[in-house]
Amino acid sequence: MSDAAMPQEQTLHDLYRDHRGWLEGWLRRRLGNGCDAADLSQDTFLRVLSSSQRIADLQEPRAYLLTVGKRLLSNFYQRRSLEQAYLAALASLPEECAPSPEQRWLLLETLQALDELLDGLPRAVRRAFLWSQLEGLNYQQIAERLQVSERTIKRYMAQAYEHCLLVDL
Amino acid sequence: MNSQVVDPRQAVRAAAQWLALLESGAADEQDRANLQRWRDANMTHEQAWQKAQALRQRFADLPSALALSSLDRPDPGRRVLLKRALGAVALVPAAWLISRQLPLDVWRADLHTATGERRKVQLAEGSSLQLNTASAVDVDVQARRVRLIEGELSLKVPGSVALTIQTRFGSVVVSQSEVCVRQEARGCRVSVFNGSVQLQPLQGPPLALRAGQQVSLGESGAGVIAPFDTLAPGWREGVLMANNQPLGDFLRELGLYRPGILRWDPELEALRVTGSFLLDDTDRVLALLAASLPLEVHARTRYWVTLQSRKNSV
Repeated sequence: MSDAAMPQEQTLHDLYRDHRGWLEGWLRRRLGNGCDAADLSQDTFLRVLSSSQRIADLQEPRAYLLTVGKRLLSNFYQRRSLEQAYLAALASLPEECAPSPEQRWLLLETLQALDELLDGLPRAVRRAFLWSQLEGLNYQQIAERLQVSERTIKRYMAQAYEHCLLVDL
Repeated sequence: MNSQVVDPRQAVRAAAQWLALLESGAADEQDRANLQRWRDANMTHEQAWQKAQALRQRFADLPSALALSSLDRPDPGRRVLLKRALGAVALVPAAWLISRQLPLDVWRADLHTATGERRKVQLAEGSSLQLNTASAVDVDVQARRVRLIEGELSLKVPGSVALTIQTRFGSVVVSQSEVCVRQEARGCRVSVFNGSVQLQPLQGPPLALRAGQQVSLGESGAGVIAPFDTLAPGWREGVLMANNQPLGDFLRELGLYRPGILRWDPELEALRVTGSFLLDDTDRVLALLAASLPLEVHARTRYWVTLQSRKNSV
């Protein structure tokens, strides 16, 4: 049977058998942790399976796996960094302002989703947007903080809204 | 309003421009009228406008201080580089979400694990140290001291040069032996796998503990020496073992390996569990319990799971 005629599951099976150990090793060296590396390597193969890329057509399967794996690794770091910032902020809140244990976890998930939504925006645009949404600052106040014109802030805000709304389309 | 086909991307772009104009405070009556006309002109326009409002609402519902310090944190990219440069990934154990107070000691710890994580490190002279979930230790090789700040460790010292484990409830001198020490709020438990160790409780005389024995140390000194629970150290191989254990006890233990909230009906407490479960996938452990016991798993989110008695559910 030629490769071209093989079903996607079969070729995925071969891909998994031939390269999983290698990919996991690569991830482990980056992460310094076997459990997370195993998780991420599984996720990578799941991504490959659910993508439209035909596995049998891959010229350089390892290069492809690495591209997918790197993206997942970067998401992973991003979630971690958010979680750390969140925990630190939580710890510094006065007792009476702290949310209940259930709310803490729900809030973390919400924040992770929003963090992903904002991902890819330039830093200044992201900050302008967050200050407006969360602190209720007006454009003039944001412009002063960022030392740019109000016109620029208006452009930033439109850019941020557009970015977030396009993600869900 | 008509349903003439409009590119939703164009509509979203326009909605973003309108919103930015309105919020700038520079919009006049004419602008508002134009916006209303634009919304009325096409269904796709109105949908884009509603989506934009929903987006604003998502942010409006957040506690602003917490959300701001999380989402407006220092550049994540730089943090990653920084972490790599330091060569250590210092993770905050997620268990703090529950305890809330930031134990400052943990920041100084040399090694820690997050909830659900386990870690093994080689020390000098063939000694090896293993950390269980949500644990922190401070290792001073020069002083030959391992301070257990929180959680559980296992230490193997094959040579005759001793290493001392310090806990809040006393110290354990380990040489040519292998022990497991678990520290909790009100005491710690020491179990010996191989060889024998010397213990110094906070009160009372020192004592020796041999292979197969365990003892609890508390504020008021050592408890009674007992045979150790052979199932307990399964975590070192990543396994949680139970032999006719009450489900409540099992779940309390399992919860230590899962970030988030795990709750269950009180009537499930007394059901019995037997088996070996892989700790790397606690979702699967819950699924296995649901397959063999009269209970159902309700996951509200990844971080909030409730087990309900099957006859209680509708």
